[in-house]
Amino acid sequence: MNKKILAYVALFLVFVYAVVPMLINISGRLDFYYTLTSVALLSIASAGVWLTFYIGRINIGQGAFALAGGYVSAILISQYGFNFWVTLPIAGLFCAVLSVFIGLPILRLRGVYFAMVTLVLTEVMRLTTLALPITQGAKGITSLPLPSGLEIFGLKLIPDFSTLENPKVGFYMMAITLMIIAYAVLYRIVNSRLGHLCRSLQQNEELASSIGVNTTYLRVLTYSISSFFGGIAGASFVAITQSIYPSSFQVADSINFMLNCFLGGLGYVFGPMLGTLMLYFGWDLLFTIGKYQMLVYSSLLIILMLFLPNGVLSLFDRKEKR
Amino acid sequence: MEQIIVNGLYLGAQYALIALGLTLIFSLMNVMNFAHGQMYVMGGFITYTVVSQFNIPFFIALIISGMALAVIGALIEKFLFRPVIKKSKRDESTMLLAAGIGFFLDSVILLAFGEKQRGVPKIIDGVFNWDFRIIMPYDRIVIGCIAIAMIIAFMLLMHYSKAGRAMRALAQDKVAATLMGVNVDRYQMIGFALGAMLAGVVGGLLVTITGINLGMGGPTSTKAFIMIMIGGAGVIPGAIVGGFILGMMESVGLSVLSQYGDITYLLIFASLMIFLAIRPHGLMGKPWG
Amino acid sequence: MKPLLEVRNVTKRFGGLIAVNDVSFDVRKGEILSVIGPNGAGKSTLFKLISSFLKTSNGLVLFRGEIISNLAPHTVARRGVVRTFQETTIFKSMTVRENIIVSHHLQSKASLLGFFLGSRKARADEKRFGESADRIIGLLGLENIANELASNLPQGHLRVLGMAIGLATDPAIILLDEPFAGLNHDETMRLVTLVQRLRDEREVTVLLVEHDIPAVMKISNRIVVLNFGQKIAEGTPQEIQNNPGVIEAYLGSEDMAVGI
Repeated sequence: MNKKILAYVALFLVFVYAVVPMLINISGRLDFYYTLTSVALLSIASAGVWLTFYIGRINIGQGAFALAGGYVSAILISQYGFNFWVTLPIAGLFCAVLSVFIGLPILRLRGVYFAMVTLVLTEVMRLTTLALPITQGAKGITSLPLPSGLEIFGLKLIPDFSTLENPKVGFYMMAITLMIIAYAVLYRIVNSRLGHLCRSLQQNEELASSIGVNTTYLRVLTYSISSFFGGIAGASFVAITQSIYPSSFQVADSINFMLNCFLGGLGYVFGPMLGTLMLYFGWDLLFTIGKYQMLVYSSLLIILMLFLPNGVLSLFDRKEKR
Repeated sequence: MEQIIVNGLYLGAQYALIALGLTLIFSLMNVMNFAHGQMYVMGGFITYTVVSQFNIPFFIALIISGMALAVIGALIEKFLFRPVIKKSKRDESTMLLAAGIGFFLDSVILLAFGEKQRGVPKIIDGVFNWDFRIIMPYDRIVIGCIAIAMIIAFMLLMHYSKAGRAMRALAQDKVAATLMGVNVDRYQMIGFALGAMLAGVVGGLLVTITGINLGMGGPTSTKAFIMIMIGGAGVIPGAIVGGFILGMMESVGLSVLSQYGDITYLLIFASLMIFLAIRPHGLMGKPWG
Repeated sequence: MKPLLEVRNVTKRFGGLIAVNDVSFDVRKGEILSVIGPNGAGKSTLFKLISSFLKTSNGLVLFRGEIISNLAPHTVARRGVVRTFQETTIFKSMTVRENIIVSHHLQSKASLLGFFLGSRKARADEKRFGESADRIIGLLGLENIANELASNLPQGHLRVLGMAIGLATDPAIILLDEPFAGLNHDETMRLVTLVQRLRDEREVTVLLVEHDIPAVMKISNRIVVLNFGQKIAEGTPQEIQNNPGVIEAYLGSEDMAVGI
């Protein structure tokens, strides 16, 4: 069984690192790099949302953390001259810490209440970045440099993106690598005791506390991991677009992150990844039909929900689901 | 000061009416209707179309848009929400469905009515002016009064009609209501239709004053969510209280803090989060299990 | 010998209503003590006060001489006082075995990070939990349904599973909230034997709150009777049966007709 999983992973790695770039080169559709980079980064943020689902909370606030992470990175780069690669973990940690303070009170809420408060949180973050002087209001922070190189002990780990022949490939590699790390972490969490405890929390919080689980701690911990993912995704987006505005991540994005999870399936670790891919590509492909894009897209969503209410991956559900 | 209060009451009456529909749907089916704002926008556009294209009097148009939305709501409940609720493992699936329906209605509105801001002519001209302390156009007063009258009618309906009593029983305890012989499917459909109808009527009311455009759906839904969280989700008086509170806060905020731009909403949202942290089920909500 | 659990002058007010009024009693190590009383006597409230799912208005609950009242429920569980639930509260979408394994949480030596990284300690923990879960499954006779999803189980099995979850935490004292409610006579008697075996084989002290008088008479070493929030009697089943105050409290109530 373990060997089988390893084989799948190896296959996946070869596919995303070698086959996809090759296919893109053959087809000459270099714009796919950008699309796939976006999918990879959005799926990191969605992975965070999925994790909060795993403790039984509907999180429509990931946009807030993506925005916060993006601004942290942008401010550190533009005003303090930090290297992007250093700001990336800082942005994640900032969001994780922020989410502890936000999470402590609001994670006591359940169901729709939590969902709505997180929805409002996205709006609060947007309005805050509009109001604060350091974020420069609606103008945003623009013309950021491309990520510079990263050396540790003279060892060149990452080349300077501005020297790259095609930075798009660089960004693609970066996004894919981050995504793989994020999902590896997620997979480990879900399949370790931490995940079992999260599931116990999802199913019955009172019972969980009666078997000695510190539910508050676990909720806040999970939420901060989730927000860490959001911050990383936001900061990476800033690097690619070289700019950030209060409108870079809004309520619609938060809702999309949630939809990605639903679509892929809440019971499956790789659900959000598949969901993001499908939603993003679906939307892009439908662009060709012009003004009917939205109509077809939303109809598909509704039909999918009617026939696969537990996500696309439930198609592959064997009878004996854990 | 008086002006701020009157503005707040006027806004609050409309808000409360939107929130009523949302909370009714939530209390009956445990569904957060993300498409509520779109239903409201749709009501506005239907009223506009009926008035301006067919030259039908505004009040009849209002009734038509209410009826149209009721039918749409009933169909959405019967053919979309009901099967999904029955099949899905988790109740959250209905959120995706609701969001999908929201997008769908948005696109229908776009195709049918276009992107332009639309409005209908004022129903009454003139401005009420009391010593320059309260200045209020007559049409706003009429619309505010209609909204309040509808809230009262809705409350009466819920308390004294058979359907109203059945829906209240259903909201309180689904199992007990079923045992008492309440037809769950039927009243959920009626409730959804009623909620959608309210959204449609408010949309129609506002089209005479602020007009209506495609982008108003999402923000309206968000505001409606806020109102029912203030009052307590699924509690009908809570929705009314929440609506008036939000109306007041906006009215005060917009007049006191107008020079700071959107800071009013930032303050409203932030204080809502603090409020919910202290009172997790709003002013009148019942705690969950 | 010092009592294991002491309930001292515990009072709970809800607004103007006094649900539990100045109740005191001890639970000794290794005994099965039942709290009974007519409907609305405050049994459930008292139960929640002891397990710290409610805060007391007055009075203390001590476990091994240390105050446990008004602590967070998980802290109380950590000390060794574990409750089961009246409703069939279990982790629905886990199998029986997974339910029991996850409930070993308190006995883990490795940190959550250790589990995440798969440290040696964590792997040892997992192995230990698995073995312990199998022992509990054997003890409670759940072998045939160990890999069933909990949501598919019938009522009687759920009650046993609830107890298994409690046992997995390796408690010093287990608090059972109406364990026999809704079970038929045979199921009740099977559960009575089971609880007694738990006490004997795992040396767990048992405190239970119950409606079913015949079962209580059969299972208990001692009984505490509540009425209108106050303790009106305490003693062995025989003493309780012959206590005129108790009979009076139950007079006209249906419980008594079936019961004593």
